[in-house]
Order: sequence, then C-alpha cells, then structure tokens
Amino acid sequence: MRPLSTLLLRLYPARWRARYGDEFEQVLADRPLGPFDVADILLGALDAHLHLRGLGAASEHAKGFAMSLRIGGYAAIVGGVLWFSLLAGNAINDGQEANWAWLGIALVSAVVVTLVALIGLSAFQARSHPLLTWAAFAIPALGAVIALFGAAVMVVTGDSDHAIIGGLGVWEVSTIGLLLLLVGSGLFALATWRTKSLSRGASALLVVGALLVVPGLTGLSGSLVPEPLVLVLLLATILPFPAGWIALGVSALRVTGPAPATLEGASL
Amino acid sequence: MDTRIPELGRFAEPALLILVSLSDGPKHGYAIMADVEAGTGRPLGPGTLYAALARLEERGLIEALPPVDRRRPYRLTAVGATVLAEQLHELSEFAQLGLRRLGRITGSRG
Repeated sequence: MRPLSTLLLRLYPARWRARYGDEFEQVLADRPLGPFDVADILLGALDAHLHLRGLGAASEHAKGFAMSLRIGGYAAIVGGVLWFSLLAGNAINDGQEANWAWLGIALVSAVVVTLVALIGLSAFQARSHPLLTWAAFAIPALGAVIALFGAAVMVVTGDSDHAIIGGLGVWEVSTIGLLLLLVGSGLFALATWRTKSLSRGASALLVVGALLVVPGLTGLSGSLVPEPLVLVLLLATILPFPAGWIALGVSALRVTGPAPATLEGASL
Repeated sequence: MDTRIPELGRFAEPALLILVSLSDGPKHGYAIMADVEAGTGRPLGPGTLYAALARLEERGLIEALPPVDRRRPYRLTAVGATVLAEQLHELSEFAQLGLRRLGRITGSRG
C-alpha cells in the first residue's frame, strides 16, 4: 500500500477503520490519487470523527423506524384475521344464538390490534407525507378510541343502554365509534394508495372493503334479495375489508424483509 | 419541495447517486464510483462515497454483503428501494412541473 494512502487512512477514527478500513484501502489502491481525492478524503476523515459521535442515536432511530413498520404489519394481519372471524361469523350466524362474551372480547381485540396497525403503518408513511398520513389516521383512530371507551363503560356498568353522551346510550356510541373505524380505514387506505409507501393493490382492496362493509352488514338483512343469494352477497361485501388489512400487513412485512433484486420488485 | 434523502444533509445528493447505482444490483465501492462518474460525468470522491455509504447503511437503506478479495459489495434493502422510488418519483414530478412552466414561457415568446 502506498504511504500516502496509509497516512490518509490513519486520519480516520479507529472504529471507522475497523469497519471500513480494508475496503477503503482497496478503493484507494484501485485508482491513482489526485489532489481532488486527497482533499475529499481529508474532509471525509473530519466528517467521520464528527459523525461517529452521533452514530448511536441515528442507529437507534433507524431500528425504531423498522420496528414500528414490522409491528404495524403484523398487527394488520392479525387484525384482518380477527375482522374476518367476526364479520364472517356474524354473517353465517345471523339471527341465531351467539356467545356475546366471546364476541365482545374478539371485537375489542380487533379494534385494539387495528389501532396498533394504524399507528405502526402511519409512522412509516408519515416520514414522507406527514400531513396527509396523520389526517387520514385521525378518523379511524378516533373511532377506535370511542369504540373502546364504549366497551369499557359497558363492562363497568353492565348496561348497554346507559346514557353517556347527549342522551346517546353506550351501545349507540360504541356503534358510532365502530363505523368511524370502518369508514376511516378506507380513508387511511386512500392516503396509503396516494403515498405509494406500501402496496397500491392492497390499499385499493381496503378502500373497496371499507366502502362495502357497512352496507354489506346493514343493508342485506331482511332485504328483497332471494334467500340463497344473501349469504353469497354478504361474504362478497364483507370479505374485502379483512382481506385488505391482511394484504396491507403482508406488504409492510415485505418492505422490512429481504431486498428485491431490482427496483421493479420494490413494493410501491 | 424537499427531494432529499431524509436526514442526510450535505450527503443527500451522493446518497441518491449511490442508491441509483445500486438499483440494478450489488456493487463494491470502486464500482459505485465508476458507475456514478459514467452516469453523471462527475467524479465521486472516496471520502464522500464512504461518508454516504456509512449513513445509508445506518439507516437500513443499503446493506453490506460478505467481502470478495477485500472488496465489499453493497446492495439496496427493500426499504432503500422504496425510499429511492419515492425520491425519483418526486424528482420526476418536479422536473415535469419545471418543463411545463418553461414550455409556457418559451411558448408565449414564440
């Protein structure tokens, strides 16, 4: 190795040399060093001394960012499965006896997990589109909080007709919260489609699901549709919602997973 | 409009050039320098290259592969590919806006 390269490399901090020293030495050996290179390396060495001081904080920040996306992805998948169980179970079991305690637990779990998914995925998208992302997050998150508040009041008072806000009973308030969460999920998916941070196909599926799920649940019961078609239509209108959440979660985990071979393979 | 790679300050432009260089497959340091110079006509110094590589690696946008003959290749991570695609899309929109405005000016003159 040339003496000038050795001298220049020695200007870098020991920690930096331990990580990049070998390959940096090889790069310097691969080409003749001109005055531009020497000046550039001097500035690089100065930067390495200054930069290493803030390295710990930056590294923690990067880890936290990837972790929030991973948590959001897993929560979206689990939430999608819970919504699927609840919605499909409700459609199949319509009008029959149900275990209300287990249904309540499943519903609260679905709301909590969906809230976690919204937070994790929004934190990922907010780095490039903060205003749009947090505005789209606000409505479903508010709905989730209202629904959970209603559920908590019902558990404490044991009364679903207990009036809490402006004469509205706790059951009505919880239902409003759930509707906000379902419809707000569509707005969140629309913002995700716009930011292109995650799969646009999954976002579009969730938008469609959020548009169909409420009329699917409320409009088909006792309708004029012939009986054999009701179940098929119910499933067709409510399945895109959980499927959209699951697809969005899978796309988030793909972003945190192994690299695509080329840009065309990136999740956009 | 902010078209920089997030939080990379004065290394944002070299970082973008490196990400573009890695977008068609892994490359080691010298190959990145040669690729950037061939693509832009401007040299990328070794000090700038490694300052930007270190930042990109810390942020999880690229990752190092096992070295081959003391040359260590780097490749884009999936997050890096997504961030790069977003940056290029924003730059493309910005360029189109500029060209449209320029077209209006030259059109009104002609």
